[in-house]
Amino acid sequence: MSIDVSGVTKRFGDFVALDDVTVSLPTGQLTALLGPSGGGKSTLLRIIAGLDQADTGTVTIEGREATNLPARKRNVGFVFQHYAVFKHMSVAKNVAFGLEIRKKPKADIQRRVEELLDLVHLSQFRDRMPSQLSGGQRQRMALARALAVEPTVLLLDEPFGALDAKVRKELRDWLRRLHDEVHTTTIFVTHDQEEALEVADEIVVINDGRVEQIGSPDVLYDKPANDFVMRFLGETTDLAGQTVRPHDIEVSMQPGVLGSTAGTVTRILRVGFEVRVTVATEGSGDVLVTMTRTLARNLGVAEGAKVWLTTAKGATTVPVMSAV
Amino acid sequence: MASTQSNVVGAGSPALKWLLRIVVVGYLFMLIAWPSLYVVRRAFEGGVSAFLDVLSDPGVTHALQLSVKIAVVATLINLLFGVGMSLLLVRYEFPGKRALSALIDLPLAVSPIVVGLALILVYNGRYGWFGPTLEDNGIQIVFSFPGMVMATTFVALPLIIREVVPVLEDMGDEQEQAANSLGANGWQTFWRVTLPGIKWAIVYGVVLTFARSLGEFGAVKVVAGNVSGETTTAPVLVQQKYQNFEQQTAYAVAFILVAFAVVSLIIVALLRPKDHKPARATATAAIQEKI
Repeated sequence: MSIDVSGVTKRFGDFVALDDVTVSLPTGQLTALLGPSGGGKSTLLRIIAGLDQADTGTVTIEGREATNLPARKRNVGFVFQHYAVFKHMSVAKNVAFGLEIRKKPKADIQRRVEELLDLVHLSQFRDRMPSQLSGGQRQRMALARALAVEPTVLLLDEPFGALDAKVRKELRDWLRRLHDEVHTTTIFVTHDQEEALEVADEIVVINDGRVEQIGSPDVLYDKPANDFVMRFLGETTDLAGQTVRPHDIEVSMQPGVLGSTAGTVTRILRVGFEVRVTVATEGSGDVLVTMTRTLARNLGVAEGAKVWLTTAKGATTVPVMSAV
Repeated sequence: MASTQSNVVGAGSPALKWLLRIVVVGYLFMLIAWPSLYVVRRAFEGGVSAFLDVLSDPGVTHALQLSVKIAVVATLINLLFGVGMSLLLVRYEFPGKRALSALIDLPLAVSPIVVGLALILVYNGRYGWFGPTLEDNGIQIVFSFPGMVMATTFVALPLIIREVVPVLEDMGDEQEQAANSLGANGWQTFWRVTLPGIKWAIVYGVVLTFARSLGEFGAVKVVAGNVSGETTTAPVLVQQKYQNFEQQTAYAVAFILVAFAVVSLIIVALLRPKDHKPARATATAAIQEKI
């Protein structure tokens, strides 16, 4: 069982948001749709939720054909970047909304609401209005509201995007633990690679309306399908026609290493334990190398020094496709 | 509030601040307060008993009742139409939307007399476009209640829409989408989410519409004709009595119209901050807490 998106295309005027996307998202996992802004990942999420309609293609949720099903019949939970709380309802009423719509017995609703408020640590705020909550609390409430209807799939659209860095990190850890407890199939959209690598079981990299790669964080990091994926997952630099991570470059102060590239150190920047060295080479232009402070001191790297660069053995590299 | 205002006007020039205050207060007094107070004074010139005598005149009670009836019906029509129209304008895209939005302001721009004349052209029983057909079926519009309601509805049409549209725009449609994904159908979403969000805009719009409808003169006078007092509304009565040198009656009725408008605006002003002030205060508290 899974969520299957097949051949989905979506245009907004001339802009192609999704271009013949086919992807299968497994049940019970926490999947991240990762990509740059405007890449189409939110559109894909909204199409799965039924909040937007695909121009062509089909959506199947747990074996149920959902392409033409309205949002309210898909039994999905949706969490919005800007919370979309019901401003005129108390926290408890917000969470109860989906259950009241489903005309569940009053006692059941109350019990379930208490359970969920407990789960998101908002029990003491049950009678507050949303305007009395902070951003992080509002988003937890929105999550409880979405979980209340026991959705087949939980969809989160940049759920922590509007929060400040510290709260974002807290909520991210909390979402991971929550998922380990609840096991609802969860798909969340993010443009933050760190967030995706840290939280997700599975990552779908989306760019320019197409799926670039699907895989676990380890697979994506160690075997990126192309230089876009590699560049998007962290800092990279180009050396001898290969895209490589700056910490995977070895520096030698003498020539003689086979296949090494000669260059001159033009800039050294120290950030805590890390030293960031910019090397001007002849064939590869400026190359960024990072190393520990200790290694830099031992080597005696200084501005103006002549160095020879090689890619470390076993490092992940991808051919540069600048010509494409 | 006072401190923030003085900051904006320019701290360190209390003279300017006072000058501005005097200008504004003086302007409002000369234009609105003084003339209105004068109406009140004249209404009670003969004492309270004279005022009550005027109110027991059947012609006066009939005119007031007629005005209230017209205003109620016109407000109900504009309420339904206005809320529906606002939703259409804010939530849906369709060709000609901008033209429609501009058209809605037409009643504010056109002289009410012209509105009345236009209605007569279309609906009168002898040569109007629909008039003869309707009249053959026993429905008389011009020179009777339906025509007066139509004229009043037309004139007050933009008031609710112009109150509701900005609030709907400000609210956005995410709450509605959330309700939708939680299983609510269109009607449930409107009733439980959209309507509570625009409640105060509607209340304010309804009060404005009712006050405007009650006081409408030009359009109604043209459409009402002169069916021996049958179609005389309160504002028309004021004018007639004034011209017939029955000034006591004219001022008494005028006072009732003014009093109603003032009281309804005060009620709304009192109701509204109660709903908004705590929310704003706690919002700032939440921002201060941040987490």
